[in-house]
Amino acid sequence: MSHLLLAETAPIHAPSVAYSSLSPIFIVLGAALVGVLVEALVPRAERYAVQMVVTIGGLTAALVAVGLLHNTAETTVAGALAVDGAGLFIQGSVLVLSVMSVLLIAERSVDVGSAIVASAAVVVGSPTDRRLARTDRVQTEVFPLLLFAVAGMLIFPISNNLLLMFVALEVLSLPLYLMAGLSRRRRLLSQEAALKYFLLGAFASAFFLYGLALLYGYANSVDLPAILNASKASPKSDVLLYVGLALLLVGLLFKAGIAPFHSWTPDVYQGSPTPVTAFMSSCTKIAAFGAIMRVLYVGFNATAWNWRPIVWAVAIASMAVGGIFGLTQTDLKRVLAYSSIAHAGFILVGLVALDKDGIASVLFYVLTYGFSTMAAFGVLMLVRDADGEATHLAQWSGLARKSPFVAAVMTVLLLSMAGIPLTSGFIAKFYVFKAAFHVAAPLVVIALIFSAVAAFYYLRIVVLMFFAEPPENGPTIAIPGWSTAVALTFGMVVTVVLGIFPQPILDLAAKAATLVG
Amino acid sequence: MSAVISTAGELTNGQVPLGEAVAFWILGPVSLAGAIGMVLLRNAVHSALSLVATMMSLGMFYLIEQGPFLGLVQIIVYTGAIMILFLFVLMLIGRDASDSIVETLRGQRWAASLFGIGFALLVALSVGRAFKGSKPVNLNSATTNANGQNVNSIAALLFTKYLFAFELTSALLIIAAVGAMVLAHLERETPKRTQKEIARERIRSGRPQPLPGPGVLSSHDAIGTPALLPDGSIAPESVMASTPGVRELPALDNPDNIR
Amino acid sequence: MNTAHGIQSAAWLLVALPLFSAAVLLLAGKRADKWAHLVGAAVPVILFIYAVMLFFSVKAESKGNREINLHLYQWIVVGTFKVDAGFLIDPLSMVFVLLITGVGSLIHIYAVGYMAHDPGRRRFFGYFNFFIAVMLLLVLANNYLAMYVGWEGVGLASYLLISFYFDRPTAATAGNKAFFANRVGDVGLSIAIMVMFAYLGSTSYADVLFGNAKLTQGVAAAIGLMLLLAACGKSGQFPLQTWLPDAMEGPTPVSALIHAATMVTAGVYLIARSAPIFDVSQAARTAVVIVGAITLLYGCICAFGQDDLKRVLAYSTVSQIGYMFLAVGLGPGVYAIGIMHLVGHGFFKAALFLSSGSVMHAMNDRIDMRRFGGLWRVMPITYFVFVCGYLAIIGFPLATGFWTKDKIIEAALDKGGTSGWVLGICALAGAGLTAFYMTRALVMTFHGERRWEDDVHPHEAPSSMTLPMIVLGVASLVGGYLLVFGGGFQHWLEPSVGPSVEEGVHTVSPVVLTLLTLVVVALGALGAWVAFGRKPIPITQPVGVSPITTAARRNIYADAFNEAVLQRPGQWLSRALVYFDNRGVDGAVTGLAAGFGGGSARLKRSQTGFVRSYALSMLAGSVAVVAVLLAVRFQ
Repeated sequence: MSHLLLAETAPIHAPSVAYSSLSPIFIVLGAALVGVLVEALVPRAERYAVQMVVTIGGLTAALVAVGLLHNTAETTVAGALAVDGAGLFIQGSVLVLSVMSVLLIAERSVDVGSAIVASAAVVVGSPTDRRLARTDRVQTEVFPLLLFAVAGMLIFPISNNLLLMFVALEVLSLPLYLMAGLSRRRRLLSQEAALKYFLLGAFASAFFLYGLALLYGYANSVDLPAILNASKASPKSDVLLYVGLALLLVGLLFKAGIAPFHSWTPDVYQGSPTPVTAFMSSCTKIAAFGAIMRVLYVGFNATAWNWRPIVWAVAIASMAVGGIFGLTQTDLKRVLAYSSIAHAGFILVGLVALDKDGIASVLFYVLTYGFSTMAAFGVLMLVRDADGEATHLAQWSGLARKSPFVAAVMTVLLLSMAGIPLTSGFIAKFYVFKAAFHVAAPLVVIALIFSAVAAFYYLRIVVLMFFAEPPENGPTIAIPGWSTAVALTFGMVVTVVLGIFPQPILDLAAKAATLVG
Repeated sequence: MSAVISTAGELTNGQVPLGEAVAFWILGPVSLAGAIGMVLLRNAVHSALSLVATMMSLGMFYLIEQGPFLGLVQIIVYTGAIMILFLFVLMLIGRDASDSIVETLRGQRWAASLFGIGFALLVALSVGRAFKGSKPVNLNSATTNANGQNVNSIAALLFTKYLFAFELTSALLIIAAVGAMVLAHLERETPKRTQKEIARERIRSGRPQPLPGPGVLSSHDAIGTPALLPDGSIAPESVMASTPGVRELPALDNPDNIR
Repeated sequence: MNTAHGIQSAAWLLVALPLFSAAVLLLAGKRADKWAHLVGAAVPVILFIYAVMLFFSVKAESKGNREINLHLYQWIVVGTFKVDAGFLIDPLSMVFVLLITGVGSLIHIYAVGYMAHDPGRRRFFGYFNFFIAVMLLLVLANNYLAMYVGWEGVGLASYLLISFYFDRPTAATAGNKAFFANRVGDVGLSIAIMVMFAYLGSTSYADVLFGNAKLTQGVAAAIGLMLLLAACGKSGQFPLQTWLPDAMEGPTPVSALIHAATMVTAGVYLIARSAPIFDVSQAARTAVVIVGAITLLYGCICAFGQDDLKRVLAYSTVSQIGYMFLAVGLGPGVYAIGIMHLVGHGFFKAALFLSSGSVMHAMNDRIDMRRFGGLWRVMPITYFVFVCGYLAIIGFPLATGFWTKDKIIEAALDKGGTSGWVLGICALAGAGLTAFYMTRALVMTFHGERRWEDDVHPHEAPSSMTLPMIVLGVASLVGGYLLVFGGGFQHWLEPSVGPSVEEGVHTVSPVVLTLLTLVVVALGALGAWVAFGRKPIPITQPVGVSPITTAARRNIYADAFNEAVLQRPGQWLSRALVYFDNRGVDGAVTGLAAGFGGGSARLKRSQTGFVRSYALSMLAGSVAVVAVLLAVRFQ
């Protein structure tokens, strides 16, 4: 048992940490910790305002830091993290969109308090619950939780080390599981969604870990560049490599909500508080695609020939599931959930390209989609009836008569998701398809057909809003407070402007399309 | 399957020490049985105990595979701490075999077994194939363990290569703590009552004695089982309305229902 | 290629102005109800005046300099790939701009009267202006991508306007049908653009059309066929024709402007514009000709089975666009004739639709010809306009169709060989059938005894409706002559589509052919008069008629075919998939019926969500992913 005793060994050298390159992450994590302290130290009355300042301040500071880093391309902490163009673009997108989500969470004028529950621990339907629901008290822990999730999303897409990627995955997921259960209205539905998300998320994480272990068995390392080198030269049987990659992909595809690992999406999107859904559907998706891109492009570049069919298959499955199931939905949040599944399929089409154009197109797509979907969920918050948000399609009929403006905003966003020209969605789809056409023409054709199918259900909603008779005692349109107004206007303006003048962001994406191995 | 068998063959044909082979063939079935039992047993406590068996066997595996630190951590932390905590919670909540196990989804079990077995076969065959022909090595030799020591090597890795991952797990712990607070912590909204007030109130309530505990005089002492009064009728005040499983308390007015 | 200067630089107003007015009308809310229609109608008139000025400015250029590029800004630049937002003002697009703004103005003015009592008038004019904007964008764009913007835009406008009377279920269905057919076409267009990009690295007209030499036969055929698919969807050509007659559910001005005069001819524009691509691929060109020939006969046959006046005209549109496809498919030299017929058709079909709208207006929105009859006395102006259109469409000597349609028949015969004969005879037979069904419509609507329902008191329409009708009626009589006069139109189009047919060897001498055509037309008209003009017309559809009539009534079973082959498997697939998505079942079964009280019901149902079935689907997915990856690796 001598080896159990501590013996004299060679000294270890701490790895160099490029603090400046990682500053966005540290800023957000720091803000999250401050947020936790605020919970402990600041009286309840001031807590909400202080948390808002801390959160938005932290995110904005991190965004500035990302902007200052724009030319960075290096690996740090013993190669575990790669700060590069694509990673920074993803980080920037996540930060901008998370600020918008915070603004949506901060909305206090359409519902008492906000969309977030007063106290999550109170038993649903109990007298205390009913009493608290009428007060403006809010479970302000949602802000530090969101910051932790954002920190995870900042690390996730720049991890060159699979173990770190896994920890980041959990850091971003755990707060989301919690946040999904914090809805102010329909709390049981929300808690159920949270539990489902948690269980299935744990299931998917298990796959990820299993894959990670097998890859370690193959490459003797969990660094993506090392896996790449091993795949080029290893004399070992590459069964482990492929089984490992497959299981790793399962975990990643789950996070991105890609069929056949999408089943949680509609339930969770429907149950979660709408601003949280907006956050999940934009930021999580962006981060997940950043990670998928890094894994495939950095770690498995040499074996692309073998994994491409899988990406083809799941892309087609996703577009089909999103397009076809979306048609039968009657709840707008579920419709948007299926739409997000379909969009994930379109983004995967860009990933098939495997060149700089492919990276740039994916970056551009996730950003534009993030803005559209964020704003669309924001609009959803405004259409309300006595039970909270009125998300049933029937309640949206004839909305244009009540509020032509809200209907028009929603129409633009839906048109963008449908990929109708002069909206950002069109440019994004075009760019993705263009990038993939050289290598996967049949896939692009299939994608075009599914985009035509999907367009139908977006336009169905448009027609419903403009042409159908409004129901009796239909929903009312709440007047948004400043924060929602800012977020909505921003999302809407970006959607339109990127359709007409996409060039600056296209250039930015093209410039950012580098991955450091 | 042949790949697995041939891999197993290498374990028995002298390339590994006999003791290790014997331990493997004993612990292997135990861990497998524990895992299966964990899924199949209907009583949650039994199920948790099966998992303990599996984890113990795994810990033993690590030990005989020259990973003493990992093996001990597995036993102390997982088996000793986490699983026992689990058991405490199970006991506290007092849920017994009342979980509904009727499968309402048509074809669910059938398909689940099919895909489960399919997945297991696929992975087992692949892994078996991958490791076919690989030779066991001594982890304590100078070539395989530069730092010479198991613990030292782990430490070296944790503080160099996996430094960031290691540090980041602290964020995970904070999130878990905050999450537990969010889900479970009810803030006190009224000032805490003094002992004087409590005593006064109790005397005035006409019931100075404590409430009956759950399970008193009934055949079961789980927290969800109401106490029986001397006349055999149940005492509804003996259980908390918020305890899982006793939501339908009025339906339990017949003591026979409570075994 | 010239750059725009002077008045030409303001061409962007052609799109911007109606877009702006549409936005104003749609967002202004109720307070704009009083003046919305005036603004809406004024905009196309202003555009027309500008278009005429633009026309003269282009005409003033020397012949080689009439292709003018107006660069607006760089839209998308990705690597070597560039798309400019810009306009191409050339003779071809000028023809369309004049047609759209000219006929558009008249129909807008007509709509002021037609929609006078409609509560949705402001909305209507908003959509109508939007349509003008995107249609002009479609024809003015200088690259395929920007044209695609217009292409989608007109589809959207058409969809919105067909479903305008959304309270009628048929209108909603018709809107959906139009949408589906158009989306099929749009997929074709987007694939064509992708292929162009992949092989030529650009989508601008300049690069694609002058770079056609770089295309191989196969690629050109692929692009050509995809463009044809797009054109078929938009123009209601075989096999995507069924939506167009249903589209008549929209208000009549919509039928006149969008589904007769302009939007549906966008397919012809697309093919004429892409002429260099079709020049490379004979196969694609042959496909265009075949589609045109089939459709022109199909439209004629269906038209005589209809009792609904607007549907007769709709099938007639299908058939006339078939003629245009035939013409543009015949190849260099005939493009101009196709476009000429398009312009002429724009006049006379608009005239026919507007007068049928006037009839509808007078008959309390009834459109069944079996309940018309003898209207010529009470509605003389409408009758006059309808007759003008009638003469023009059947090709009465010296009316428009006589100049334009006969030229297509001639060109088809001149193609030579067996195919020339087959096409020529198809076109000739089409002319006879056209005369037959148009005479039937004329006789049933305006002549014979009065078969009106009791509550109608027909009267002539107000002058805001009749004036534009008269203008269009006169235009359809004399317009054709003005177009062919001295070959001016064809020479004008030369820079865009190349020189017109050289007078050379004719299969049949033009004089003989003209006489032959007239005989066929006369026979058709006479036949219809014998069949419908001399005996009373039953007010219900007679049963036990010939199989041809039955087939014609049922649109030659196209809808039944679509339903059996396309719709049912689609529905089946959708249902089958939904079956596996246990949550989807909720949505499908409860549907709208769950209604508003659904909140709590939904809540309850959702609590039976099955994580284990989700987990199962994930497990199945994982097995599939692992298995496929291994299979690919170790195949």
